[in-house]
Amino acid sequence: MATAEATLGRQTERAPFPHASAIRITEALVGGTIFVVVLEVFLGFNLLDPALWSLYGSVFLAGIVRTLTYIALVLPVSVSIGFALGWARVSRFRALAWPATVYVEFFRGVPPLVIVIFASILGPNLFPERFQSVQLGLILGALAIGLHSASFQGEIFRAGFQSVPRGQLEAAQAIGMQPLQSMRSVVLPQALRLSLPPLSNEFAVLIKDTSLMAIISGGELFHRSQLFMDQSVLTGTGQLHWLFIVWTAVAAVYFVMTFTVTRAMRLLERKYHARGLEGISI
Amino acid sequence: MIRVERIHKHFGRLHVLRGITFDLPRGEALVIIGPSGSGKSTLLRCINLLVEPDEGKVIIDGVQVNRPDIRPEWARQQVGMVFQSFNLFTHLNALENVALGPIRVKGMAREAAEEKAKQLLARVGLAAKTQAFPAELSGGQQQRVAIARALAMDPKAILFDEPTSALDPEYIREVLDVMTALARDGMTMVVVTHEMGFASNVAQRILFMDAGMIIEEGRPEEIFGNPKHERTRAFVGKILR
Repeated sequence: MATAEATLGRQTERAPFPHASAIRITEALVGGTIFVVVLEVFLGFNLLDPALWSLYGSVFLAGIVRTLTYIALVLPVSVSIGFALGWARVSRFRALAWPATVYVEFFRGVPPLVIVIFASILGPNLFPERFQSVQLGLILGALAIGLHSASFQGEIFRAGFQSVPRGQLEAAQAIGMQPLQSMRSVVLPQALRLSLPPLSNEFAVLIKDTSLMAIISGGELFHRSQLFMDQSVLTGTGQLHWLFIVWTAVAAVYFVMTFTVTRAMRLLERKYHARGLEGISI
Repeated sequence: MIRVERIHKHFGRLHVLRGITFDLPRGEALVIIGPSGSGKSTLLRCINLLVEPDEGKVIIDGVQVNRPDIRPEWARQQVGMVFQSFNLFTHLNALENVALGPIRVKGMAREAAEEKAKQLLARVGLAAKTQAFPAELSGGQQQRVAIARALAMDPKAILFDEPTSALDPEYIREVLDVMTALARDGMTMVVVTHEMGFASNVAQRILFMDAGMIIEEGRPEEIFGNPKHERTRAFVGKILR
């Protein structure tokens, strides 16, 4: 993180105050430390209990790997679809705008859990029999989470596009730019400037929504940890306070993943920063 | 240079342009005046095809440009435009605003385009503001960047759509000075404006439009001093009072 901050030295001057991100990171570290101290010292949990970690460690790692796999699959898919939806909704071609609106309204209003279940159980039937497998069901279930998130991202991109005044496009046309050129050089950079903050928000939701895969035994961190706790309670091998340790560890992992992505998004936000348009600071 | 023949334009049931014809020789500055809603802006936008005329011909340098086999982008590269509300690209600084067209549309190398942009910004008196973003500039400065941006495409003519109407009074002069210098250098231009001082000092010819038609045209002293048509007289009387 330190090197990333250093290479950004030039842009950092543009931030409202100079060490904003350093302060945020410090805050996160201090907050995390306080949380751990409360658990360890005041509540008497041993967070690094060897008895627990010798059993749970491999489960934990396998869960993280699977969760990261789902994120790597779902994030790009949902952004691509969301971007296409946002563009389609502002298109002057009604034939594009109308289906996009139907898509957004549908996926926005249906519980993602239901879509995940339908996609993983019914989805494979759409494929030839030799492709049908448990893995296919899981992939389709994960994609369903992406499709759901895409409807929200579509609205974020639509708002971004609509925030660009008409005159900007006219000015691009007036210097002879073709539609795709003016989109890339003029409209998109300005639309993204306003889309990125709400998009980070949606990414944070999406990362945590991969835990919905637990409903179809997705094998990701949440699901594996839940199984582990059930087994250790049922078989009597575990202790009750493991419950707090395991779920604290799970929460910490999701926090780190979310925080990493939203920080990365901040770097993008700086790239699209326009001087003089910072808005108010109160 | 620019010839417009029997242009008609409808917006829904509104008949905005009713058969406009005029001819603009190379190097002439033409000013269009007329009450709001008379179709002046629409006429300008028809010349660079931001608005597609329903009927009639737009001819630039002997080539009819409003026909299906010519890309409107090609026509727009021939004729620059300066807008009432500047429309500078808010995410780019002054230099990038001016250099964008040459780089993206003409395929000029970035360094050459930026060098050219610097010279043009110096020409409009903004050599010190190349790194400033639009939101950091005054209205007059923004409009001068917009003029430099239009010039960067080496247009055969420039259309000005009420370039000073959105400016605070103290900035109008600097923009008009730049435009006057351009006209003196022989730039072909069509200017929609309410600045009667500019019109009488710089224009070779004035068109008076009302209700989508050209009511009267002539040299400035004729239009302002001795208008023939009743509607021209009424409009000029209101403006010059």
